[in-house]
Amino acid sequence: MAKRGTTRRDFLKTGAAGCGALALSQLDFARGLVARAEAGELTAQELYELGKVENTLNTVCLNCNTGCGIKVKILDGVAAKIDGNPYSPWTMNPHLPMATELGATAKVDGAICPKGQAGHQGAYDPYRITRVLKRIGKRGEGKWKSVPFDQAIDEIVKGGKLFADVPGEEQREVAGLASMYALRDPKVFEEMAADIAKLRKKKLTVAEFKAKHAANLDKLIDPDHPDFGPRNNQFVYMWGRKKGGRSDFSKRFYEAFGTANAHGHTTVCQGSLYFACKAMSEQYAGDGFKDGQKFYWQADLENSEYVVFVGANLFDANYGPPNRTPRITQRLVDGALKIAVLDPRFSKLASKGGPSAWIPVKPGTDAAFAMGMTRWILENQRFDSKFLANANKAAAAADKEATWSNGPWLVKLGKDGEPGGFLRASEIGLKAKEVRKDKDGKESDFEWLVVLKDGKPVAFDPNDEKEAVEGDLFVDAELPAEQAGTVRVKSSLQIMREAAQQKTLAEYAAICGIEPKVIEAVAREFTSHGKKAAIDMHRGPAQHTNGFYNISSLMNLNLLVGNFDWAGGMIAASTWNADGTKTDKQPFSFKKLTPKTGKPFGLSIIRHDAKYEESTIFEGAKYPAKRNWWPLSSDVYEEILPSIADAYPYGAKAVFSYMAAPTYALPAGQTNVEALTDLEKLPLYFASDIVVGPTSMYADYVFPDLHYLERWELHGSHPNMPVKVQPVRQPVIASPNEVVKVFGEEQPISYEAVWLALADRLGLPGFGKDGFGPGQDLRRPEDLYLRMVANVAFDGKEPVADASAEDLRVFAESRRHLPKSVFDQARWEAVCGAAWPKVVTVLTRGGRFDTQEASYKGDHVANKYGKLINLYQEKTAKVKDAFTGKHYLGLARYVPQVDTLGREPTGLIEGFDLHLITQRDVRMTKSRTITQSYLTSSLPENPILVSSVDAKRLGLKTGSKVKVVSATNPDGLWDLKNGTKKPMVGTVQVTETIRPGIVTFTLGHGHWATGASDAQIDGMLVKGDPRRAAGVHANAAMWIDPHLKNTCFIDKVGGSVSFYDTRVRLVRV
Amino acid sequence: MNQDKLITMQEDLRRALAKPAEQRRWAMLIDVRKCVGCHACTVGCASENKLPPKLWYRPVFEYEQGKFPAVTRTFLPRPCMQCDKPPCVAACPVKGKDGATWKETKGAANGLVVINYAKCIGCAQCVPACPYQARTIDPGTNHSDGTPAPQAYEAAAAFEYGTKRQRLGGSQPIGNARKCHFCVHRLQEGQLPMCISTCVGRAGYFGDESDPQSLIAKVKKANKIQILKAPKGTGPRVYYVANEKLEVIYG
Repeated sequence: MAKRGTTRRDFLKTGAAGCGALALSQLDFARGLVARAEAGELTAQELYELGKVENTLNTVCLNCNTGCGIKVKILDGVAAKIDGNPYSPWTMNPHLPMATELGATAKVDGAICPKGQAGHQGAYDPYRITRVLKRIGKRGEGKWKSVPFDQAIDEIVKGGKLFADVPGEEQREVAGLASMYALRDPKVFEEMAADIAKLRKKKLTVAEFKAKHAANLDKLIDPDHPDFGPRNNQFVYMWGRKKGGRSDFSKRFYEAFGTANAHGHTTVCQGSLYFACKAMSEQYAGDGFKDGQKFYWQADLENSEYVVFVGANLFDANYGPPNRTPRITQRLVDGALKIAVLDPRFSKLASKGGPSAWIPVKPGTDAAFAMGMTRWILENQRFDSKFLANANKAAAAADKEATWSNGPWLVKLGKDGEPGGFLRASEIGLKAKEVRKDKDGKESDFEWLVVLKDGKPVAFDPNDEKEAVEGDLFVDAELPAEQAGTVRVKSSLQIMREAAQQKTLAEYAAICGIEPKVIEAVAREFTSHGKKAAIDMHRGPAQHTNGFYNISSLMNLNLLVGNFDWAGGMIAASTWNADGTKTDKQPFSFKKLTPKTGKPFGLSIIRHDAKYEESTIFEGAKYPAKRNWWPLSSDVYEEILPSIADAYPYGAKAVFSYMAAPTYALPAGQTNVEALTDLEKLPLYFASDIVVGPTSMYADYVFPDLHYLERWELHGSHPNMPVKVQPVRQPVIASPNEVVKVFGEEQPISYEAVWLALADRLGLPGFGKDGFGPGQDLRRPEDLYLRMVANVAFDGKEPVADASAEDLRVFAESRRHLPKSVFDQARWEAVCGAAWPKVVTVLTRGGRFDTQEASYKGDHVANKYGKLINLYQEKTAKVKDAFTGKHYLGLARYVPQVDTLGREPTGLIEGFDLHLITQRDVRMTKSRTITQSYLTSSLPENPILVSSVDAKRLGLKTGSKVKVVSATNPDGLWDLKNGTKKPMVGTVQVTETIRPGIVTFTLGHGHWATGASDAQIDGMLVKGDPRRAAGVHANAAMWIDPHLKNTCFIDKVGGSVSFYDTRVRLVRV
Repeated sequence: MNQDKLITMQEDLRRALAKPAEQRRWAMLIDVRKCVGCHACTVGCASENKLPPKLWYRPVFEYEQGKFPAVTRTFLPRPCMQCDKPPCVAACPVKGKDGATWKETKGAANGLVVINYAKCIGCAQCVPACPYQARTIDPGTNHSDGTPAPQAYEAAAAFEYGTKRQRLGGSQPIGNARKCHFCVHRLQEGQLPMCISTCVGRAGYFGDESDPQSLIAKVKKANKIQILKAPKGTGPRVYYVANEKLEVIYG
């Protein structure tokens, strides 16, 4: 049908095109469009061109971080419509196998959310920038001129009096990146890094270090504090939303440049979820724990029978609506799945759970609920004792379990009975430590661990695959020590039980503000479904000062039923490998294709992966530290700019931000403006952004980036997706950006073009000609990405199939509208070589997706986590709080919300009667969807939701205008430090869907940049769009920590920012 | 192996298209129990049909009932009901064989209430006539109004009623009455209406309800069906399944 229609259409094209009179009339219907389509009689006006395979391109959405496969429908080179890519398991359940012919999928649309549907409005945004902007006014003043790309790059690299035409900056000398690229010798990097490791362990003094490295001390930030590292670290790179591919691109740069300062934004999302799970996934190796993964688990919803959702807003957010929703709606209606929802809000999810599903706990009390459940489960013997008895891999395997816990392992107690590290068998003379070789032949000590089995100590190796060891679950004992005396030990489970028993169920319920019987009912139901029950959590419990322990407490419940890797239980994400290090069939191993450069070392400016006590500034300062240290977390977004403002531990000289809007996204984001407007503390700031955004508005230079429909990324997966995947984002439309020449290649200005040009000017190895080795250049973005796609195609037991002749035809035809500066097929083929036909298979399908059938194996998921999961966290217990000097708890429990010094914020609460939280609406992502009018038309402004009880008390009605004020922002203003103070005024909506005492607003509205306000570019006034300023963004009311003074409240352990702890007052305006 | 309902319904649709048009009965069913209020249908429809700001063919209304903590929330999508006795048609002054709006009896659109933009005079008499507020006059506004420049996607053609048409300047359908048409341009291509194909809750059903093998016919048979504003006697082709009494909520 399509073929004949096409022929006829082509015939008619010239004849009918000018004849718009072929408008519809009743006659057309009478003749029957279907019949005429079949007869090939449709005219050019009638043919539905969006249904043609040659007009559709599969790629990946990025209007939020879910990563749904999208099918972009192109009309005359324009992205006219976006729907779901049916090859993607995000948009169909089950999804179409990759073997399905392209032609058969052109008219099959998968389901995506409204943001995905509106995505092209972000590409066709009248406020996008297309040329490099350089500021000609003060930072944040909104006065710009366009400058040539090469000029901007040269200035950033060389430095100088770059802002001589800005009043007040005539004489300001700016250091360029070249001056920060101080240390270059890989050998010196290695030697210094090794000595700094010794310095941290007090095996070397600063004086000894200085003597040894006298020749290179000028390369250091501060020779008296060599642990700060080289001056290279004074270049700080930070990013917001970045996925695979672009991550690899930047990593290649900053590792070659040698800066330890490359920081993401994880903690503004759900850092404490990631880092609690990192702590739980630390693996015992040798004599300690390492290789914890920055990741988390979610429930396998399509097979669960009972799920307790905690702060997981899955019909509005939660990675995300298109994939999780269809897996449960029918099952909820059929009664196959029951849910409970812990949330102060009656979320859309809670509304689908039936009468008793909603449990409106007070914000931040999630761990109290979890510990109440824990107590009930332990005391009523409702846990999986078989699973919990397994001490090692062999024991787990014998029970057909893929994971095991440290529940029965013995923990040594300190003088005051406080739990410390796990008992090593050598400490009680049970088994001596031994020397073992790892797979690379490197030797290290191995210490055996201990359980009691029937009251007798047994030494074991957690990773032993042969000798199964089980242990007694609840142990409180004294064992004779190796030397003299005794060692007091308890099993992890015993410590857990004692922690849970610190409060009664009634006390836990009182903390949560609910009835005790609710905790019991949920605990009973949770333990009534075997492995098909799960506690599924997201941002809600994580974004508190107690987030790390909220998450750990909740996640530990999953260990009590041992549901990990089971269908219907908790699962981990699984992706096809892209860096070529997985199998020897993959054509491009980046390990081999990356030249050896110095590995960055020294303290990062956010002090992650480092202990305060091991630093050279500890002795002079002691407790409390000026700012926090983060041995357990990384990508601590709220630390980056405030640390620069404090020059702690050292000053920065240049910042590059990518897709970053910390001023908007962070709680008390206005505190970040301080560093951004301080020319002394932050002498040079350049940004990559597609618009002048709420943070890039302060930049010295803004480089236009590509919209996600114009660029590459390998999006990866999320732990709610049982299918092994690797979605591939790729250019589907041309970019409006200025085309420039980098490494001799014409390309639109992009994020990658910035890195490439900087690398070119700095002479960084691994870029440009022969960047990947002889004959393999890195001159353009896809020089990297095509190789990654080839690796994805060849990962696994079997590679993907070769593209058919039809695939190859469609591949080329559907890209006919792309300019050569974006798509040059001959060049692409040359990059991929023999892998090309498989690369085309992956690109045409929008990624690589395993089949639904291959995603389960019997009662288990096929893509298993398959390792130890820590109930007790030894590594956490060994870290000291940098403010109090006290050890962190190794076993999770409820802890109250406190400031950095550990004080409950009573002084900030007084006089502020409402507890502020936030939420997402499915129509908005935080900072990038305001540009899209389909979305703002549907949700023109975001209300402040107020309970009818509070509304009555305060005399508020739906429609009342109120200002949000707090103890740390009594005026309720966003002070942008550019003369603008935007009040946090919103419109009340009175509702029954929120717990009295709580107020909330959805994130995404109330902008002041991103086209929301006027700007001056090249002397022309660009008027802002008031629709983008509508609504309220109340983050600036969120508490500022009284000790830090320029940062919001934080979770000291897991890194999360506090989104849900502030108390506010609503002032009528 | 199960298949996604979207695939099942598309198979139903293609089977229906193979039948003579007169033997088909297009219908839509919305299982409100599964609607999660995501508004993907609303926005997907706007994008598919190039609707101007705040003109929706298929809004989703949100309701809450009860008192804390015994609350319910309902999300109610409201497409055109494609009434068998459409008051809007009765209200249209452009009558006759070649009128502006009518209940189609032939072809792919058989059973749907359609508008001929070329004949519509924009008098707006149909707008208040519809008890569901399903009709709106296209005011000629654009999403890029008040911004630095018009955008290419907005000038791109839509395919409503199977006609490729750019909405530019004062051209049709600007000034015309506009409403949901079950994406007849997609139906004739064997594709589901946009609201159905992008329903993340799989709450929407579409097909030929006269085919007992079709999913919509099965779901209709298995559940208690509600229609909106039954006393008006409009004979809607849109059915609802809900725990709530929709007449109470929707009025």
